[in-house]
Amino acid sequence: MKRGVGIGLVVLLIAALGGLVWWMQGGQEQASNTANSDEKVTLDFWSFWGSETRRPIIEQMISDFNESQDEIFVKHTFIPFGDIWTKELAAVASKNQNAIPDVVVGDINAIKLRGQKQQVEPLNNLVDVNALQGVMHPEAWDAVQYENETYAVPFTMDTRLLFYNKKMLEEAGYTEPPQTWADLTEMSEKITVKQGNTFEKVGFYPLFGVGTDVWLINADGRNYITKDGEVTINTPEDREALEWINEFTDKMGRKEIDAFKAEFGEQQANPFLSEKVAMYVDVATFYTQIRDYGDHLDYGVVPLPEREEGSGHYSWSGGFALEIPKGAKHPKEAATFIEYMAGKEAQMYWAEKNFDQVANQEAGRAVADQLEDKEKEVYEVALTAMENTLLTPVPVEVPDLVSLVSPELEQATLGKKTPEQALQAAEQKVKAAKEGAQ
Amino acid sequence: MKNPLRRADTWQGYLFIMPWLIGFAVLTAGPMLFSLAASFTDYDMTSRMNFIGIVNYTTMFTKDDLFWVSLYNTFFFVIWSVPLTTVGAMILALLLNKGIPGQRVFRTIFYLPAVLSGVGVYLLWMQMLSPSSGLVNTMLGFIGIDGPAWLADPNWTKPALILMKMWSVGGSMLFYLASLQSVPKTLYEVGALEGANWWHRFRYITFPLITPVVFFDLITSTIGAFQIFSEAYVMSEGGNGGPVNSLLFYNLRIWNQAFEVYNMGYAMSMTWFLFVIVLLLTLFNFKFAKKWVYYEGDRR
Amino acid sequence: MKSLRGSNLVVFLLLCLGSVLILLPLWWMISTSLKPMAEILQFPPTFFPDDWQFSNYLKTWQAAPFTLYLVNTLFITLLVVIGNVLVNAFVAYGFAKIQFPGRNVWFVILLSTMMIPGFVTLVPQYILFSRLGWLNTYLPLIVPAFFGSAFFIFLLRQFYLRIPNELIEAARMDGASHFYIWWHIMLPLSKPILATVAIFSFNGAWNDFLGPLLYLNDETKYTLQLGLQVFKSEANTQWNLLMAGSLIVLLPVIVLFFIFQKYFIEGMDLSSGGKG
Repeated sequence: MKRGVGIGLVVLLIAALGGLVWWMQGGQEQASNTANSDEKVTLDFWSFWGSETRRPIIEQMISDFNESQDEIFVKHTFIPFGDIWTKELAAVASKNQNAIPDVVVGDINAIKLRGQKQQVEPLNNLVDVNALQGVMHPEAWDAVQYENETYAVPFTMDTRLLFYNKKMLEEAGYTEPPQTWADLTEMSEKITVKQGNTFEKVGFYPLFGVGTDVWLINADGRNYITKDGEVTINTPEDREALEWINEFTDKMGRKEIDAFKAEFGEQQANPFLSEKVAMYVDVATFYTQIRDYGDHLDYGVVPLPEREEGSGHYSWSGGFALEIPKGAKHPKEAATFIEYMAGKEAQMYWAEKNFDQVANQEAGRAVADQLEDKEKEVYEVALTAMENTLLTPVPVEVPDLVSLVSPELEQATLGKKTPEQALQAAEQKVKAAKEGAQ
Repeated sequence: MKNPLRRADTWQGYLFIMPWLIGFAVLTAGPMLFSLAASFTDYDMTSRMNFIGIVNYTTMFTKDDLFWVSLYNTFFFVIWSVPLTTVGAMILALLLNKGIPGQRVFRTIFYLPAVLSGVGVYLLWMQMLSPSSGLVNTMLGFIGIDGPAWLADPNWTKPALILMKMWSVGGSMLFYLASLQSVPKTLYEVGALEGANWWHRFRYITFPLITPVVFFDLITSTIGAFQIFSEAYVMSEGGNGGPVNSLLFYNLRIWNQAFEVYNMGYAMSMTWFLFVIVLLLTLFNFKFAKKWVYYEGDRR
Repeated sequence: MKSLRGSNLVVFLLLCLGSVLILLPLWWMISTSLKPMAEILQFPPTFFPDDWQFSNYLKTWQAAPFTLYLVNTLFITLLVVIGNVLVNAFVAYGFAKIQFPGRNVWFVILLSTMMIPGFVTLVPQYILFSRLGWLNTYLPLIVPAFFGSAFFIFLLRQFYLRIPNELIEAARMDGASHFYIWWHIMLPLSKPILATVAIFSFNGAWNDFLGPLLYLNDETKYTLQLGLQVFKSEANTQWNLLMAGSLIVLLPVIVLFFIFQKYFIEGMDLSSGGKG
């Protein structure tokens, strides 16, 4: 080997060692930095709000909190969405206090299960439970409870609404938005224009924007497993929902509608903004997208239509909650910060700046009162929809619930099983799993 | 005379593999053994770890339908993707080693997909595979084929993923390229004198000399294919397994069990079952390799 | 370079076609990166942007401290590549060219470390690194590279096995140590494959996501791949900026590859290079 290369390698090795030393000193500096500010308790707060729009908002809220305080300092760290919980879990499992953050934004539907698994701190002795229960959305509050203990405080929600294109409805002769499934079917049929194998425009298709599961909730206002532990999957209402969806698929042509749907995969091209679809299910924040990228649209918004008149405009929501990971260093101070974040003022700020739905109902109401014009219209509808909104907390007895039910529902919507067969199979599987757990 | 040299060889051998041995002992062996032990418990990472014997394993074989679904999906993927990507990479390397004008540019282009990673690529594929406006079906349309709905059709989701793997075959192409550099040119000259055609040249000169790399590619891409995960995770909307669980691969099932429902003990027992399969397959390959892999170093 | 005639012309045309198949999807990435969000949301998607937004690239770079992330990533990647090339080449020699008791058993164990998916040992490994006090440092990302990786050791072993044993035996007779043989005979003979190892480990460290995600807690220590995640969120992804960012991150890897390629062309002719 040439001598030059040998010398080069030695230099690189020395550089590598030098780098390591440099880094180790950096680590020490870090340690001395935190030592300086120990009059104040530093809270480690992890969120996935790192985008240009969200980050300034959350950081403003944090800096407001920090200024109002002389005992606690909150340090915000952005961790990518989804992966944040893997990282949190690893930290909690390590039981290493220096690794565990003090407050994390968690998935509200996973809280019950994670409470049972002791991944998060119980909060009954740390926060004012009664006060919070009084203001929080009841479904959201229920989702963070497990065996009379509170495991997180709800923060945001995102209930599903129906957006409709007024112009497209009017062209088909409708001035009023749909109220029931029958309306949707009828109006869609009139609006939809199909040329050969492709759709010029589509009135409505139930599986754009949401899944079958949302319509099963919409049908009867019940989850797969009710709060009393009853399995309610194979019900007449749920069968009707699947039949209703299949009716659309059959009429429109499975292949054609699949093709149309796939064109708009993964939030890129949006069929509602492109005026390809007249009625579309999405969350309230979709308003900001229409405002920013589709200001030509003349549109309205209503709660999800109901199965039949009087059956109820039920909708589904996900959401996020603030939790203290098990083994966090400063649970008491963390609880103070969480109560601030769940308080009316902070929730209003978040709701207004993000046009997001918040779990604190007083804050939501107050924001709606402040808004004007279109913003007010959309937000009011969202508030109304929230009254009939269900969450889907992962049931502790059958944590695998979705992976048991979804494939069966897919078989039904793909026409490989009848709705009856699919729902029956799903119900049997869930019941078996539930019994196995006991 | 021979003995001292041999003894010297023993300690020198261990000296050479020492860095790996230390790393294995300190960094890898512990977590691996831990996961083996935990596969006999109800470990959930945070609240419990009780010995439950072989319950995880019996549940897996007798009660869990999705285990069998995921095993089937994974085998399907391995059986198709391993031969296709191995042969594909080899052909590509042969073509890119002929001294064609612009060869360096071509090599870079074909290597590109292997560099691209992350969610962007998978989303790019979703776009390409979309049934009517996607690039793949547009191309198929040119030759008169009415392309399937790919990711929307449970029968076509796995072929779609295999297609994706083929696209990024430029990665393993590198191993073949590197190995082709050491095929002596003189051998071809001899071959040409004897009037050998391209197939003979490949079959009797090139191929035997690159068998060590073919073998390497075969083993590692088999191990890799059994562990297919991130593609399926992204393309099935957060790991739900795609239409009718057609993309529920073994590792996706393990992930869901471990990090969605925190059945870590169960996830680990699934892992070790697959480990045994892959290990046996690999050992069999090593035995079988003696028949076709040719190491120049061994010739006497 | 040969002229373009006969079979070579066919190959050339085939390669052109293949390149188009690879570059078209890539063009879609480039074109997305140059569109405003409003255009991305429109249907049907446009092949060329209607409204070319070159400023997206500047916006991307400014959306997070990417210059810092670049420095961090370079630092990690450089050390990982050095570790991987040197250590794996060293260990592989032991497995390929030295006879010692237990070699085959260790080799099987080496291979078996590839057969356990990383996320199964993720938690125990995290616990291990946390006990070592390595959290929020680059050590968990760099140090393992200096202990060898099964994939590269196996690859290099396959290459070493092709090098005639006579070469080594002759050198041993002359009193050369194995270390001397490795350094003076093996390494020079294996440049193409060392280049491959370098390219691969660069690529791996550069694109690593899970490692930095788990072990880095300070945003000032983040890498490019973590930085790119700011464009994704639970609801609205900024596709144009995400694509622009991915392309910027891709560029150094392509340049590196183009340069390193020369080692493939400078291959070694074993039969004329050795004595036997």
